[in-house]
Amino acid sequence: MQILFDNLQVLFQGLALGSIYALVALGFVLIIRATNVVNFAQGDFAMLGAYGMVLFFTTLAWPYWLAFGAALVAMAIFGVLFNYGVYYPLRHRSFLPVLISTLGASIFLQNTVLAVFGPQPKPLEKMLNTDGINIGGIFLDSQYLMILIVTVALVAFTYLFFEHTLLGKKLQATSQDKDMARLLGIPVALMISITFVYSAVLGGVAGVLVGPILFVSIGMGSIIALKAFAATIIGGFGDVTGAIVGGLLLGVIESLAAYHISVPYKDAYAFLALFIFLLFRPQGIFGEKVSEKA
Amino acid sequence: MALLELRNVTSHYGNVQALKGVSLHVEAGELVTLLGANGAGKSTTLKTISGLVQATEGDVLFEGQSIKRTGPEAIARLGISHVPEGRRIFPGLTVRENILLGASNRKGVPRKQLEKEADEKFEIFPEIKPFSGALGWTLSGGQQQMLAVARGLMAKPKLLLLDEPSLGLAPLIVQNLFATIRQIRTGGMTILLVEQNANMALQVADRAYVMETGVIVTSGPADELSQTEDIKRAYLGG
Repeated sequence: MQILFDNLQVLFQGLALGSIYALVALGFVLIIRATNVVNFAQGDFAMLGAYGMVLFFTTLAWPYWLAFGAALVAMAIFGVLFNYGVYYPLRHRSFLPVLISTLGASIFLQNTVLAVFGPQPKPLEKMLNTDGINIGGIFLDSQYLMILIVTVALVAFTYLFFEHTLLGKKLQATSQDKDMARLLGIPVALMISITFVYSAVLGGVAGVLVGPILFVSIGMGSIIALKAFAATIIGGFGDVTGAIVGGLLLGVIESLAAYHISVPYKDAYAFLALFIFLLFRPQGIFGEKVSEKA
Repeated sequence: MALLELRNVTSHYGNVQALKGVSLHVEAGELVTLLGANGAGKSTTLKTISGLVQATEGDVLFEGQSIKRTGPEAIARLGISHVPEGRRIFPGLTVRENILLGASNRKGVPRKQLEKEADEKFEIFPEIKPFSGALGWTLSGGQQQMLAVARGLMAKPKLLLLDEPSLGLAPLIVQNLFATIRQIRTGGMTILLVEQNANMALQVADRAYVMETGVIVTSGPADELSQTEDIKRAYLGG
């Protein structure tokens, strides 16, 4: 019985960790679909969100939820700047210059934050003032619980937004065929800007959520981004559902393997899972070979 | 004043000159067809009108205003709807969503109104009505073409540009499609139709232009052109 409880406990933590990967992976996928480019600074969006929280909450001592809101607004503005500074000038070029551009942005952002906040990792308060709740022998940490709740809410919102609003459909149309979208009068540049804003806010939320667990540090985004990228491949490259399922799966695999096998190799399990997928199902869980039709 | 006028337009794909001084005009209410072989520059002419390709010289006038330097999004808002070659249906959106997005050039129309107009399009194209909820890529070529025209009409355009609607379709479906084009035209739509199927195009058109390698070589009323020996030999297989 105790073994079952322990496993459920680990599963719960794995799902929470996986939620973070899922949010960042979702940000990856939205940008991949809109611009055909992998954004190497995606993890740094999470890092920036967490530092935004450090600035507004820890340094300026604003109330928690006000600071949270301010961090998200800052991320939205950052999304616009990122689009016009990193992607937009290169939009007519092939994917490679854009990819290098996002890589450069990542280095720039990490070093800017380093210069402003220093190299020391910062602690961040939990969202709720309680430790957590105990349900039948399983302890649910309040921060892990919040991660799950916020992720479910964001995924639900994303689904409603993309599937049930005309704006969401226009964003999809833009990602599927830019020239045709332009011929219909869809403002493509604005749509891509919205995608970057949305993706930056998703990343920012992930950073604020994971900050209390990991400590806020310059490099926190890099490891999250690597896992999230692995999640997009496992889920099916460019697939929205795949990004979410892939992220959750990775979190669970990582946590269960760390508990049952060995903790120091925690980061390796995710990439082992990636290798196995690349060998036996390279198109990912939800990926399918795209068929061209006349 | 012509609804659309091209004055000695040249345009390039990279270093290749695709149009070498094209002049043509379309009057309101007309159905004009642009004929010619593969690579004559017909599609480029349409792309230059809708703004996907920029004219390097000459001028493009729509309702008397130059649109030579206007982007495709803005041209769509002015009332030119371009149904491009290859249909370009959004593969991951449903048939209905594809149609709804056709109205993206019209600002501030309530969703309800758009849904109603989409239903009207299904009346014009009953073939695609059963597939309303199906994803775009699952349709056959003929159904995709119907959908592309339906989407183009949602823009409520003053001018409809149709690029090779018959391409790759079975003869019976082509007949059906042209009957619908004739019907749309009777409703008062101004249409510039690019076709390789000269026979069909000349049957529905008022006037025709014939292009060869980037220039217009002949023009005139459709019924006259279809009697011309050169045209018969070159395009009508007789």
